[in-house]
Amino acid sequence: MQKIPLMLAKAGMVLARDVFRGDSPVGMPICGKDTVLTDALITRLDQMDIQTVCVEGHPVWEEGERTFDELLQNLDRRFEKSRQEPLNSMLYDIYKAYLAKSMGG
Amino acid sequence: MEDKRSELKKIIMDTRTLPTLPNVISKLNALSDNDKASVQEMARIVSSDQVLSARILRLANSPSYGFYRVSTISNAMILLGVNVVKSLALSSSIFAIMEKNSVGLWEHSLGVGVAANLLARKLGLPECEEIATAALLHDIGKVIVSLKCSEAAKEILGLTNERQIYTMEAEREVIGTDHAEIGGWLAKSWFLPDKLSEPIAFHHDVDKSLNHRIKTSVVHIADVLIKASDFGNSGDRYVPVIQKIAWDTLKLNVQIMTELVAEIEDKLIEVRNFSLEMMSE
Repeated sequence: MQKIPLMLAKAGMVLARDVFRGDSPVGMPICGKDTVLTDALITRLDQMDIQTVCVEGHPVWEEGERTFDELLQNLDRRFEKSRQEPLNSMLYDIYKAYLAKSMGG
Repeated sequence: MEDKRSELKKIIMDTRTLPTLPNVISKLNALSDNDKASVQEMARIVSSDQVLSARILRLANSPSYGFYRVSTISNAMILLGVNVVKSLALSSSIFAIMEKNSVGLWEHSLGVGVAANLLARKLGLPECEEIATAALLHDIGKVIVSLKCSEAAKEILGLTNERQIYTMEAEREVIGTDHAEIGGWLAKSWFLPDKLSEPIAFHHDVDKSLNHRIKTSVVHIADVLIKASDFGNSGDRYVPVIQKIAWDTLKLNVQIMTELVAEIEDKLIEVRNFSLEMMSE
């Protein structure tokens, strides 16, 4: 599943989560999970001021977006100077787990 | 070195005007022409621009208005009125356009604002909006350095790359001070309340924050998180060391941080969307 800005949504993508008004998961969903997006639907969502949608798979590879291995390498580099500190080492582990989850699931 | 520092301080204290990102202005203009534009909506847009926010806060806190200390954009909007904010926004548009790298810094600031707000809410702290405002403004000193001392700014950047040190260390070497201290001077000269100026001045030295340590701790942790997440571009390529005093002050633990990281990452997608929208205009 990937959460993407609505402006990057394309016809043919499949919703992985219900879409709610105002992006808050209360009340009635305005568009259900498993719906296949169409251009008309995307326009409609845009008019309702929906900012983001969750879609199946990882369909949007944006410019500069990296694979899991590359993301991990970058994470290593960012923590290079601070990872020996116990608190930073813990934060590193949290981010590593988060990356694995967001790229794999 | 001391000369350089005091010379710089003089320049900062003289700074009455700062440039702002023109996209924010056009967005704000489009909104205020629309009768339905709410104060909250305008506050949201103004808050996305650190220089414009600072200008409005500065005005709201200046002796010529003489109310009480105002520390959030929404309060400033209500106190100053939509028209004053609009004319402020208009006058800002004539100032020089920020360099390209400021967009990265702006995104970083937005991200830290979001992270600080989420953390403050998660911990049930009072005055979340103030904390978010301090977070949004925390790197304002960097804007001043690149604006007022562009040569020094290049030297600082060169030094961080060459020796692989933190921006802060390079700043101290080149200009004898750093962006946090400069931000603190600026906040003081704008009559911002301590609860905003302290987190700005001490977000890298939480132990020096005596009156608003909780707020300063939140901004520090939010800054670390956004650097770890690689959102925006603060100029620093390395994640700073988490200061234990901040960790202890907020009584953080692994579970809070794990949940927070997921919440922040979720929210950052919206921030990116917003920033993409602004750039496409």
